Amino acid sequence: MPTTRAGRPAGVTGRSGRAIGTAVVAIFVLFFLIPMAWLLLATTKSARGLTVGSPFTPGTLGDLGRNWEQLFAFQDGAVTLWVGNSALYAAGALVITVIASIPAGYAMALTRFRFRRLLLVITLIVMLIPNTALVLPIFLELNSVGLIGSPLSVILPMSFFPFGVYLTYIYFSTSIPRDLLSAARIDGCTELQVFTRVALPLAAPIVALVAFFSFVQSWNNFFLPFVMLPSSDGYPIQVGLTSLLASTPAFNPSSAGSESVQLPTLALATVISVLPVLIVFLFSQRFLVAGMTAGGTKE
Amino acid sequence: MGETAISRRPRRLSGAVRGAGILAVALTMAACNGGGGTGDNPSGSYGFPQVAQDDKAEITVWVDADRAGAVEAFKKANPAVPVKVVSYDGSANGSNSFRTKMQLFDRAGSGWPDVVFSTQNNDAAWASQKTGGKQAFAAVLGGGLVPKATLDGFTPGSLNPCTVEGKVYCLRNDLAQAVLWYNKTLLDRFGYAVPATWQDYQALGEKVAREHPGYIVGTVGDAWTPEVYFWASKCQANGITGPKSVTVSTGSTECKRAATMLDTLIKNGTTPNISVFTPEFVKKYAGKVLLMPGPAWYAGAIFNNPQSLNVPKGQLGVAAPPAWQGETAVTGNVGGGTWFISSHSKNLKAAATFAEFVTTADDYQVNVAPGYPAFAAAGDKWIKKQESSGYYATDLRPVVKAGTEIWDGWGSGIFSQEAIWAKTMTPAIAGGKSLVDLLPEWETAIKNQAQVNGYTVK
Amino acid sequence: MSYAFIALYAVLTVAFGILPALYALYLAFTDAEGGFAGVGNFTKVVGDFRFMPAVGHVALYLAIWLVALVVLVTLLAIVVHAVAVRWVSSTLRLIFYLPGALAGASSVLLWLFVLDPAAGPIGGLLHLLGFDSFVEVIVPANLPPIFAVIAFWTGAGGWIVIMYGALNNISADVIEAARMDGAGRIQIAWRIQLPLLRKWISYMGIMSLAAGTQLFVEPQLLSQASNAIVPNDYSLNQLAYQYAFQQNDFNGAAAISLLLLAIALALSAVFVLRGGLFEKD
Repeated sequence: MPTTRAGRPAGVTGRSGRAIGTAVVAIFVLFFLIPMAWLLLATTKSARGLTVGSPFTPGTLGDLGRNWEQLFAFQDGAVTLWVGNSALYAAGALVITVIASIPAGYAMALTRFRFRRLLLVITLIVMLIPNTALVLPIFLELNSVGLIGSPLSVILPMSFFPFGVYLTYIYFSTSIPRDLLSAARIDGCTELQVFTRVALPLAAPIVALVAFFSFVQSWNNFFLPFVMLPSSDGYPIQVGLTSLLASTPAFNPSSAGSESVQLPTLALATVISVLPVLIVFLFSQRFLVAGMTAGGTKE
Repeated sequence: MGETAISRRPRRLSGAVRGAGILAVALTMAACNGGGGTGDNPSGSYGFPQVAQDDKAEITVWVDADRAGAVEAFKKANPAVPVKVVSYDGSANGSNSFRTKMQLFDRAGSGWPDVVFSTQNNDAAWASQKTGGKQAFAAVLGGGLVPKATLDGFTPGSLNPCTVEGKVYCLRNDLAQAVLWYNKTLLDRFGYAVPATWQDYQALGEKVAREHPGYIVGTVGDAWTPEVYFWASKCQANGITGPKSVTVSTGSTECKRAATMLDTLIKNGTTPNISVFTPEFVKKYAGKVLLMPGPAWYAGAIFNNPQSLNVPKGQLGVAAPPAWQGETAVTGNVGGGTWFISSHSKNLKAAATFAEFVTTADDYQVNVAPGYPAFAAAGDKWIKKQESSGYYATDLRPVVKAGTEIWDGWGSGIFSQEAIWAKTMTPAIAGGKSLVDLLPEWETAIKNQAQVNGYTVK
Repeated sequence: MSYAFIALYAVLTVAFGILPALYALYLAFTDAEGGFAGVGNFTKVVGDFRFMPAVGHVALYLAIWLVALVVLVTLLAIVVHAVAVRWVSSTLRLIFYLPGALAGASSVLLWLFVLDPAAGPIGGLLHLLGFDSFVEVIVPANLPPIFAVIAFWTGAGGWIVIMYGALNNISADVIEAARMDGAGRIQIAWRIQLPLLRKWISYMGIMSLAAGTQLFVEPQLLSQASNAIVPNDYSLNQLAYQYAFQQNDFNGAAAISLLLLAIALALSAVFVLRGGLFEKD
């Protein structure tokens, strides 16, 4: 556990202040860390070991292997299918999001057209609406046109990502000088060429940022696929977790049968369900902060 | 704003919606692989409209984790029939997942499973009805899909929860009549007699609390508490009198006597508020269960189950459900799952074979199933097999007899009594409130739930 | 040409931002047959015996969560900012924000484990607090704080990191000057750092308030895991779901969705139009 040496510049506060600060930080480090650490350890234990043993002793690789086998044997490999679905939905939404957001953000930042301001305000407002608020309305809408149950019923709504447009808008309006575009136009570039030859090559960081946020949000989405894709074959892993939960006797006691899932296996499923996002998170703290900060300010 | 301004809005909107429709339809064509349900045989030979049949088509079966054994047995016996298993929560405890998911499939126009197992008895009430212009989910079974001889082979009355307006919509998995389980070894050691009336039962509970604290005579931790105690007391909490009418009156003597008895037993610690399926229950009360009124399936599910109480051979006895003094004994019923066949199935034949197998075949019902089969022939064999196993300390006649004693004043409505109990009563009991005081609250909760489900409440 | 650039996004905006809202509006004011229903659907859902309890649940949860978020995030950001050792500070921030990767069902599942006295990592603590079983932990009275803890655990880290960034923007000279004047660390935090964080705190508050009203996955999974002791109509979104898929009443569902949407819209509109955060455009 990292210890903190608060307040190197001496003489600012007393020792007690520093001690309190250290204690507060220590408590919250435990609060944030314990559940995750425990979850990882739990995947290496047997069901018995989990309830009997001490919570923070690691199990064995053998048990991890058995949990792994049990998990992927569940319903003839449903978990593999669900992870695949998650990847499909998140990747599909990511591609459309990038294709839609980058040119739109560019146009809103660097060109003039009617409704520009309207579109910008709508973008800002919708961006701040939690995406769950629109799930039932979107369901009602897609239901009226008979799209429920199709992968498109989640990919398309997830591709509507005003936050990505806003990020792109900020990026282009702050980091590309208008003169550069004017110069290109004078050189005889068409508007399309200005975009593809001048703006796009400079846009790599923002494409990555938008892709990152879109991926994380789509991967973690629960409510939308939960209502749009009622069939087990179509579940993303987040919704599939509920199926596993329903088969775990500890949380659904009446499910004590041969297909039942033990706690460590459920823990492993939880880890797998977040693994891609967790990995992305580990390497992208700066990204995330840049994006969230951009959500609140405009320089 | 005047009314005209508002009422004009829909028309403008519908134009916009139509616009979206065109867009979305274009998208659908790329993604959609046949919505099913169009251009189908409008009448069908079994008494409901069916889709084009394909005898080779894989059937999808929804079961709870408990019923996985049924699927395995079927696969072993019928290796040629392709079966895909999807496990779900069995709609247990009023989660309504069966119903909500089928309504979603109705909206999607595809995706229905071919056979569904539900732990509840209130699904036929909705599954037999058209919803939103879509045909009823449940296939009519009596119109030739399941042979009449098979239907007739079920224990009389056992298909009542499956029957709506004279038509059968599901097959019953097991009978779940409540009986009085007891530990004969312990009872003999303590010198107690098996109570014949609820008054004796309460007296015994009070005696146990004094003489052998720590031992228990029942539980109120599960959502089927009302079905075990209140149903058996003829409490009118679930008087389903018609397809959309219900009479609820929990202020009656019948309800109060059960509540008073439980209050006493909860207070003295002989009837804990812990679900029998939890690890805490097993930890605390393994070897300490003296008496336990409960459904027939407790036998395999908790007593003779190494994961649960694991009562050793030769100790478990069963007695007829107690009567209230001066009355004839009646009893309640806790679930006893039901199997539905989808009217949308592409392979009705295989689906019917499956549903028949899991409810009637010895391979599952006699050899594997934890509960008392609803199919009479299997039921007899199950009893014989259980008795000959030497596990029980008594014969199992009381189980058979109790099956004929289920009080008919408690119906199978569309809403879940268990969900209501879990939501309003379980936490209140945990909070130390008395059941007698809670009865009016319970009544209101049942009435409210019935009303939002479209029932006329009396 | 600009129109070509925005075309796809505009179509998506109309299809999944504007149309659904309008369609919900249409449904909310009509009955099942499509006739005009006035405010009938709204009086129906508001009068539903499950509605006010759901409002109460969500409100209580929000109150606890927002207070915790504002107080603790600010406090932790300031404390972590005061850590002079670079790697300690960055490690701390990573630890705080990593749980953010677990959203939705995953984080709820994780907390189901944690709150299970029989198997979880804090079983000892729970026993000490008098909870011997999972069912005792999740009695209704405990749920608002439990949901607040889950939300805080996944969401707080990101905000701590942002506040930390904002604190970095305060020039060292200002702090140094204050210190020269004899201001202690607490006074600096209170007089200088806190006022500068105000904008961020309100941003965080409004975003969290809007998101919190949408509570769905937490009670939904807990309901499943508690054998319905946590009812499946605990939150407003769940109630809307019940209306749509259990009662088959899309008009009622639309009415609830619209109420929720209106709250979210109002909050974000106030923020965008008057919050001063997007001032330039």
